[in-house]
Order: sequence, then structure tokens, then C-alpha cells
Amino acid sequence: MIALLVLAKDLKLHARDARFLATLALFALSLVLILSVAFGPLFQDPTREASATLWAALFFAGVLGLTRALDLETESGGGEALRLAGADPFLVYAGKAAANFLLLAALFVLLLPCAAVFFDVGSLSVAPGVAGVAALALIGYAAWGTLFAALARGLKARELLLSILLFPTLIPLWIGAVKLTRSLWAEGSIDPVRDWVKIMIVVDSMGIALAAWLYESIQEAEE
Amino acid sequence: MTSTMPSWWEKSRPFVWGMALVLIAASLWALLNAPVEAQMGIVQKIVYIHVPSAITTLVAFALTFAASILYLLTRSKIWDSIAASACEVEMVIATIVLVSGPLWARSAWNTWWTWEPRLTSFLILWILYGGYHVVRASVSAASRPTISSVLGIVLFVNLPIVWKSVEWWRGSLHPRSVSMTGDMRQVLLLSIAAWLVFFVAVWQERLRLERLRDEVESGGGTR
Amino acid sequence: MILAARDIRKRFEDRIVLRGASLELHPGEIVLLGGRNGSGKTTFARILATSLGPDAGTVTLDGRPVRQALRESRRSIGFSTHRPLLYLGLTPLENLEFFGKLAGVADAGSRATQLLSSFGLEEFAGTGMEHFSRGMLQRVSLSRALLPEPRVLVLDEPYAGLDEQGTQTLNALLLEAKGRGAATLLVSHDRERVPPGITRVCALRDGAIEAAG
Repeated sequence: MIALLVLAKDLKLHARDARFLATLALFALSLVLILSVAFGPLFQDPTREASATLWAALFFAGVLGLTRALDLETESGGGEALRLAGADPFLVYAGKAAANFLLLAALFVLLLPCAAVFFDVGSLSVAPGVAGVAALALIGYAAWGTLFAALARGLKARELLLSILLFPTLIPLWIGAVKLTRSLWAEGSIDPVRDWVKIMIVVDSMGIALAAWLYESIQEAEE
Repeated sequence: MTSTMPSWWEKSRPFVWGMALVLIAASLWALLNAPVEAQMGIVQKIVYIHVPSAITTLVAFALTFAASILYLLTRSKIWDSIAASACEVEMVIATIVLVSGPLWARSAWNTWWTWEPRLTSFLILWILYGGYHVVRASVSAASRPTISSVLGIVLFVNLPIVWKSVEWWRGSLHPRSVSMTGDMRQVLLLSIAAWLVFFVAVWQERLRLERLRDEVESGGGTR
Repeated sequence: MILAARDIRKRFEDRIVLRGASLELHPGEIVLLGGRNGSGKTTFARILATSLGPDAGTVTLDGRPVRQALRESRRSIGFSTHRPLLYLGLTPLENLEFFGKLAGVADAGSRATQLLSSFGLEEFAGTGMEHFSRGMLQRVSLSRALLPEPRVLVLDEPYAGLDEQGTQTLNALLLEAKGRGAATLLVSHDRERVPPGITRVCALRDGAIEAAG
């Protein structure tokens, strides 16, 4: 299946990009550190500050990950060959988005324990819930991020543009993620804020739907 | 494949300007003579600028959205010019919204910024559409129409979601709808009309410039 | 006739590169396209291979405009150019297998090994390509284009970076393609290295294609 082929290819490329991955991990950790320092040393509202730190760091590190994935495509024209292979653009998109999702998920798995430990919040019992929230947020991030990254390919200020376009678009996801995570950590359930799940699902679906409609046009736009 | 605006469009320009100037003069006069609101005093009159410019911005965004779709469907560059010129004019108007809002908020609620939903959503849109212009300026001429159209669609589609989210996020301080009676209502309606016509007038000029620039870029021929 | 370009026009920013270039490729043909540097050969090749869209004019495959069935048309065309069109983070074998499977080639792995062997790259088949020389990349790139045995081949300066061995291998493969009825457009100003089976020679001059001697 084409999407799986593209996914496997992207994962292989990332796996061999060890130097970049290590740098990205360090960058993400420094973000968490900076924010912890900004909020600390005595945390007024640990669950909220931890949640904010986790998701803020994840957003910015994620943009760098997305840009890197884009660069791996355009570097020596692999992406061009992919386009000219005549595969269904949406399936190609799906494979790429899935790979981006996994990359973001790896970042999340790295940052979650850090935030939990630095702020002394969270417990294993809510871990599945937090994982669910992360899945919701990161699916949307990957869906929209892959779409915008394709738009920004070849532009000099890729990361900046990606941030400018992505963050406002993802605000609903991010507010939801921060609130839901915090609720899980503070109260052990998402009940007070469960409406946000609906909005996040809408954002995720919208991203995928728009990609299905527009990805081919973006792909065919001349560089 | 039309690449020039129809003749009635060109002919209407002086009329539109005439009408705009008349309406502006009328609304200014009405504004100055409108009853002064009891609580807020004369500053309340900013609403006659704030509300109409906000409405005009949204109308213009919708225009950009529609023109973007039409470009992707017809691939006729005139739609891209329409979308981009509308978007540029309305960035300016959106700025006016963002400046007049806090001015009003200051005297109504004694604070410059309150994260209340509408203003926040407007700020987000302003950033997003700012990104639209940056991307538009950065891509190659060949891909510009396609990329801009995709953005024009994607950003507009986000509008309702972002709006709703920010509303949920922060309960609304912003008056649900501007309810006015009698004289004040007349002034407001007049202002809205003036702003809309003024927008069309300026937009016509901007569109003309955009078409001229496009012609020069494609070497003096229209396709 | 398999692939035909009619009255292709293309301009970039301020330069008109192609003004009404036309060419037809028939089964079993190897057409050599020459022309001075900057004459627009690469642009024309790209348009033919659907990598780029023309400003005016049409490219048809089996009589049908490629724009109407872009994906299908692309599956019948093999393209190589100056850029490697490869993923440097993957090995040659992985690259070829990936693109082969995408094209629906059943035994992509063995075909890939075969091609890499022919080009003398069997010992590098499983190595990362970051340190490959120009010539090595070129050979992998050509293998990528040839692997699915497409009906049309558009090769832009395929001999660049190739040594004697590589040139011979490429020419053998081109004659093989000719034998199975494929149509090939060879863009090259390297007249000495082309295979003996050239059916036609053309040149791009002033943005249009002329038959040359």
C-alpha cells in the first residue's frame, strides 16, 4: 500500500538522521527547562504550568521536526521523484502525515516525563488519558503541519512561516490539549472540560479533509 | 478565460468613489451629531468605527475565500488578483479593528486587552493573513496563484473554529451583539454602509494595480 | 506515436525559453535532442516528463493530454535529470525498491539488484549515499528511471559523470528499451557517447525544435 511504503520510507530516513534527532531532543528539553525556570522555582499552580510547558515546548520542537522532514524530501529531489511516480497524492500525504505523527509522538513521549518530574505532577493512572489527549492533538498537528509544510517547501524562512501559519490554526487544539491534560493531572478526569474533545476532533477532521481536497494542487504548484 | 475585469466594473469606479465619499461624509456628520452615550461618553463613538470595520473585514475575508476557490476551479488569474487585492486592503482594515478595539475596551472595561473572544480571534486572523502575504511575497511567480488560493481557503475555513474556541476559552465580555436603538442604530448602519462602499472603492484601485503588475510580470500579454 | 509535445511555450520571469517547440516520440525510437547551453533543453525535457507545466501547448500520451490523467501518464514515463531525484538517506537498493514498488513492479528487489550490478554498483547497493560521487549518483538515478521499464524515457544529460563502463551499460540498456518498443528522448550534447541505434537527431534553437543533420 502506497501510504505504508511512504511511511516506512520516512521512518527509515528519520531513523538514520540521528544527529538531527539528538539535537531536536536537546532543543525540546531546553524549552521545557526555560519554561520551568520562568514559572519556578515555586510553582503556583503546578498542573497548569506543567501542562502549558509541555505543550508549548512540543509545538516549537514539532515545527523543527516538520521542517526537517520537508528538507529530507526536497534535498536531492526524492520528493520530486515521488511526485513523478504517479502515486495518488492523498495516499502520499497520508504516509507523510503518519510519519510526522510518529515523530511528534516520540517528542511527546520524551517531554511528558520531563514535565511530570520537573513540576511533580501526574500519575500513571491517568497516563492512558493523557496519551489519548496527545493522540488527538498530534493527529491534528501532523495533518495540518504536513499540509502547510508542503506549501512552504522551497521557501527560505520555512520554519518561521510554518510557525506563523500553524500556531494560529492550531490554537483550538492547543487550548484543548492544555486544558484536558491539566484536568487529568489535577482532577483525574476530563469531565469539566470534555467539550474540548469535540473541537479537537473537528480541527483534526478539517485538516485531513482539506488535505484530501488541496494536497494535489499544492504538490503541483511550481517551485 | 477572462483576464480582465468586465467593462461595467471599470466604468463603475468613479461612481463607487463618489458614493463612498458621500457616505463617509454623511456618516462622519452623523457620528459627530449622534447622541452621546450616557455611561461611556464620547469614546463610545469608536464603536462606529470598530464595528463597521470588523464587519467589512469579515466580508473581505469571505471574498478572498470565494475568489480562491474560483481560482482553483478555473485557473484564471483574475481570481487570484481579486483574492490577493481584497486580502491586502482588509489587512489594513483589520489593523484598524485591532487598534480601535483596545481603545474602546480601555474606556469600557478599564483595560487595554482582555483576551475576549472576538478581539483575540481577530488578532489570530490578522497574524494568519499576515502570513498569507509573506508567503505570497516569497514564492515564485508561477506558484503564487495556487499557493495563495490554497491559503485563502484554508485560513478562512479556520475562522469559525478559532472563533468558537476562543469564545469557549474565555467567557465573553464582548457585547454579544451591539444592540442599539433609534438614532444610534441609524448612525451605525450608515457607518457600516460607508465602510463597505469605501472598501469596494479602495479594493477596485488595488485590484487595478494588481492586474497591471501581473501584466508587466507576464511580459505585457494578458492570458 | 506515444508521447507528443505540440507548440510548447514557456517563459520564466523575464525570459522566454520555449516558443512553440514540438516533438513526437514513436515506439522503438531513440531521439537525440541537442542545442546550446541555455537553449531550453532541460525545460523542454521537464515539460515532456510532466515535471513542469507549459504556459501554452499540450503534451499528449497515446493521444490523451497528460494533464487529464496526470498520475497514469507519469507511470508510463521514466525521467532522469541533473538532480539525482533520490533520497540520500536511503541506500541505492532501498531507493530503487521504494520507487519500484510505487510503480507496481512485482520483483522490484531483484530488478534493482540486477540494474545496480550492471552499473557496477553491487558492492555499494547497501551503503548510504551521502558520500557517493556524482557518477555513482547518476548511475543510481538512471537505474531508478529504468527499473519499471517505462514506455517512455526522458533522459536529460544522462552521460554526465559516467565513465566508459557506465556509458556502455547505459547504451546497452537503451538499446534494450528500444527493442521492447519504448520511446526514448535523449537530451545530450555529447554526440560521441550516444548509442549506435539513434533514429533521429534534433536541436533546440531559438525556443523551437528543428531536425538536424
